Amino acid sequence: MGWALISSTRPPRPLPPLTHIPWRRWNRALHRDIGYLAAGLTVLYAVSGLAINHMADWNPNYRVVQVWRDVGPLPGELSEEDLTRMLLQRLKVTEQPRASFQPDQDTLDVFMKQGKYSVDLPTGRVLYEAVQPRPVLHAFNRLHINAPKQAWTYLADLYALGLLTLGITGLFILRGPNGITGRGAWLTGIGCAVPLLYWLWWAFLR
Amino acid sequence: MKLFQPLSLLLVPALLMAAGPVHYGKPFTVKEETKISDILANPEKFAGKTVKVRGAVTNVCAERGCFLNLKGDKKFQELQFKVDDGVIVFPADALGKVAVAEGIISVKVITEQEQKDMCPIEAKALNRKFDPAKIKGPMKVVRLDGLGADLVN
Repeated sequence: MGWALISSTRPPRPLPPLTHIPWRRWNRALHRDIGYLAAGLTVLYAVSGLAINHMADWNPNYRVVQVWRDVGPLPGELSEEDLTRMLLQRLKVTEQPRASFQPDQDTLDVFMKQGKYSVDLPTGRVLYEAVQPRPVLHAFNRLHINAPKQAWTYLADLYALGLLTLGITGLFILRGPNGITGRGAWLTGIGCAVPLLYWLWWAFLR
Repeated sequence: MKLFQPLSLLLVPALLMAAGPVHYGKPFTVKEETKISDILANPEKFAGKTVKVRGAVTNVCAERGCFLNLKGDKKFQELQFKVDDGVIVFPADALGKVAVAEGIISVKVITEQEQKDMCPIEAKALNRKFDPAKIKGPMKVVRLDGLGADLVN
């Protein structure tokens, strides 16, 4: 009885037409959630991108420690093994070397676990070089250039597709004068024109 | 403790694998190893052929890990194993380790002028001496275009 009374006082709301899809709301939700998911990887790719972009100026993966020593001239006529033994004795290094190599008559390279001794035999000047991975950047850069291969290839593909989706959904977040039909159109146009014009200049006009 | 049992099942094989060689790139297809000295003695005979070589790593590309230089079995000899950037990324700590590497032998002739342009830059990067007087005539560069490699710990 009560149910009949209530139903009679509230007429049922008309159902939305089947063709109505709240695509702007879905667009915002998609943009928001993919944005959250992509935040960490965006930081990783952006930081390592900056580091790798300036590879000509520095080594973004490794810190190279260089120390010069002087051990006195070494007789070049000795065998590589004897030269290696003599060099390590003079340096007072007891660790066993991994390998040694003479690139030419005057040079001997001795490879240790942590670094390399390179000696100029006639002068006895020794350069010790140790290559140490930069703590965070090394890992970021290895992932950026897809060093692990395998599953990382597909994760990176997913991230790229996510960025593509972010780019497209981002165009349709706002309506009105700041949206894609107003100010947004100008800014999007400028953003697309920069690489296009640079390419035209670089490829044809330089 | 039961929680950690599956973990130990995963860790033990992982540790055993870590003790063995680490493979990079494509699987090996050639069984027999060729001496680096044989290749350098007659590079034209090997040009375009797939070979497998062995040698201590004397240099690694520290920027992109895109090449390894392998020590030959004779004095002063080395052979470069080169891949396109990103195809294989060798770690810098490969230096001094033994590598078994498979690739295709390529032979290229570099003119005197090209050497004079390139060598000072390379010598500076490798911290080696460069004497332009030593450049006399064209130079033959023999390289292993890399397919796959094992780094032995």
